[in-house]
Amino acid sequence: MSLLELKDVKKIYQQGKIKVAALRGVDLKVEQGEFSTIFGPSGSGKTTLLNMIGCLDTPTEGEIRLNGNKISDLSRKALAMTRRHNIGFVFQSYNLIPVLTAYENVEFAIRLIDHASEINIKEKVLKILDEVGLKGLENRRPNELSGGEKQRVAIARALVKEPKLVLADEPTANLDSENAIGVVKIMVKMNKELGTTFIFSTHDPMVMEYAHRYINLKDGMISADKRKGVKGV
Amino acid sequence: MFSFKLGLKNLTRQKRRNVITIFVIAFAFFGYLFMDSVMGGMEEMSFSNIKNYDTGNIQVMHPEYWEDREKMPLENLIDINQGTLDNIKNMKGVSGVSPELRFKANLNNGIDEVAVLGLGVSPEQYNEVFNTKNYITEGAMFAPGESKAVIGVKLAELMDLKMNDYITLLVRTKEDTFNTIDVEISGLLNSPNPIMNNGIVFVSLDIAQQALNLGNEVSLLAMRTASGDEDKIIKALTGSFKDKNLELKAYSWRESAASVIALSTAKKSGAATILSVVLLIGMIGIINNVILSALERTGEIGMMKALGMREWEIVFVFMVEATGIGILGGLAGCLIGFFGVGYMTKYGFDLSYMGGDMSEYGIPILDKIYGTWNISAFSFLFILSVIVALLSSIIPAYWAAHKDPVKAIYHR
Repeated sequence: MSLLELKDVKKIYQQGKIKVAALRGVDLKVEQGEFSTIFGPSGSGKTTLLNMIGCLDTPTEGEIRLNGNKISDLSRKALAMTRRHNIGFVFQSYNLIPVLTAYENVEFAIRLIDHASEINIKEKVLKILDEVGLKGLENRRPNELSGGEKQRVAIARALVKEPKLVLADEPTANLDSENAIGVVKIMVKMNKELGTTFIFSTHDPMVMEYAHRYINLKDGMISADKRKGVKGV
Repeated sequence: MFSFKLGLKNLTRQKRRNVITIFVIAFAFFGYLFMDSVMGGMEEMSFSNIKNYDTGNIQVMHPEYWEDREKMPLENLIDINQGTLDNIKNMKGVSGVSPELRFKANLNNGIDEVAVLGLGVSPEQYNEVFNTKNYITEGAMFAPGESKAVIGVKLAELMDLKMNDYITLLVRTKEDTFNTIDVEISGLLNSPNPIMNNGIVFVSLDIAQQALNLGNEVSLLAMRTASGDEDKIIKALTGSFKDKNLELKAYSWRESAASVIALSTAKKSGAATILSVVLLIGMIGIINNVILSALERTGEIGMMKALGMREWEIVFVFMVEATGIGILGGLAGCLIGFFGVGYMTKYGFDLSYMGGDMSEYGIPILDKIYGTWNISAFSFLFILSVIVALLSSIIPAYWAAHKDPVKAIYHR
C-alpha cells in the first residue's frame, strides 16, 4: 500500500463567473521514505497539489488516500486532526511565531499531539534542533536568526512530531544558494535517518539535484514523473 | 497549556497598540470610578445635610400635616407638653427631640420684602438635634423668649442685613389674620446646607407661637437617634402613639428626603449609562485589537491550522490575549481610580468652580464635594472588564480562526 495515492484529482476555482482549473486530473502514488520534488512553471498547480496532499484543501473531483485512508472528503475537523498527526509543513516564508524562541516554536508543534511527558517533549525538541544544526540557538527568537536558521527551525517544527509525510512549498525560495543547499541537505539527512517521506516544490535546479524523484507539473497535470538514475532525468 | 502561554506571549506583540488599548480601558474605568465616588460623596453629603440641618433622623407629625407639609399649614399641628417631649426623649436610642413650628413669612427689612420659611425653635432642644449652632459665623443663637432671630448669610446678603439689624416678619395667624414678628438679628448662619443659608429665619418657638396664635402647638418634632436605629424607634413610637390614642406618625429622614433620594436614584441610572459607555469603549478597544492582530497574523493563523490546531484552540489563543488586555486595563483603571478616588475623599472638589451652591439642582451641598470609597465598584468593574474582554473577543477571534488555511498561509 502506498503512503499517498491520488486518483484523477481535479481542483477548479471559481473566480467570479470564470472557472479556473488548477489541477486537471492528477494521478500519483508516493511510497514511504521517498524524497520527491514537484517542479514546474508558476501557475502549473504545484502549491495547489501540495495543499490537497496536505489536507489544507479538498479536491473538486478525485480521490486522495493517505496511508490507505480516504482524506479527500473529510470534515474540517477530521482534516485538522489528520494534519496534526500525520503531516508536517515547511513554508517558503517560514511562518515562525515571533514571540516564541526557536525551542518554543518547535515545542508548539509537539504540544499539539503530546500532552503527557514534559521530559520526553524536551528531549525530542532538543534532539531535533541539534539534528538540524541549531544546537545553542534554542533560546533565540526568529528575529535573532538568519533566513537559513529560521527555515531549519521550520523543518524541526515539521519533523518533531515524527509525521509520515513532510510537505515543503518552495522551502529554499527565500534563501541564498549556500543556505538553500544547507536546508535541503538537512531534509535529505532527515529522510535517511528517520525515513520520513518528503515532497517539496521548487524552481531551483541546484536544489532539485538532491531529490530521488522528479514530478513535473504542467498546466495542472503531471507531464513527467521520473526517478533518479532513469535516463532523461 | 501551550495555547495559554502563546496567548500571554502575544501580549508582548504590538506593544504600543496594546498599551493604548489598556490605557483607553483604564481611563474609561477611572472615569466611572471617579464619577461613582463623586456621586456617592454627593449622596452621602446630601443625606448628612438633610439629617443634620433639616429633618433630624426622625420627624413626628400629624399624618395630614405630613401630606401638606410643603405648604406649611397651621392646621393638624401637635399640641405638646413637656411630659410628651420627655417621654420621647427617654426612649432608648433617642438623644434629642426638638419641637419645631414651621410657618410662611415675608421678611421685611424696611425697604424690600422676601418670602421666607419661618422656623420657631427652642434653642436648647434644637441644638440637641441639629448641628446648626456650629455654623453661626457671627453672633449667637437667641435664648428662649428673646425677640431675636438667626438668618443665613445669603439671605442677609440679599436683604442687605447685618448683625443687630431689625427685621419684620409678616405672618398670617391660625385665624388667617395678619401679624408681625419684630426681631433683632442675633446671629448669621453659614451652614453646609445651602437651603439653610438662603431662606430660613430662626426665631424663638414661644415668640412664633404667640405671633401665630397657636398656644402650645408645633408643626413637628424632630428627633436625633443613632444612625440605623430609625426603623426600630419608629416602630416603638408607632406603638406608643397607638397606646396613647395619639393621631401622630413618625417618619424617617428617608421619607422626608424622598425627592433627594429620587434624585440619587436618577443619578444611579445615569451611572449605569456611564458604565454602559465605559464597557462599550472597552469592547470596541478589545474587538479592534483582536481584528488587527488577526489581520497581521494571517500567515501565522494559516500555519497554526497547517499544524493541525482546531478552530477553538486558535480562538482560545486570541481570547487569552484579549482577556490579558482586559485584565491589564482593569488593573490600570483600578489603580488610577484608587488615586483619583483617594484624592477626592481627602481633598474633595471645590464647587466654587461651578458656582458653589448645588441646591439649585436639588442637592443640598455647598462649597466642596468629597468622594466616597466604594470598594465593590472597583471589584465589580474589574470582574466586568475581564468578562467583557473575554466575551467581546469571541466573535473576532472566531472570525480569525475560521479563515481558510490556504488563503491564510498565502495571504490571499
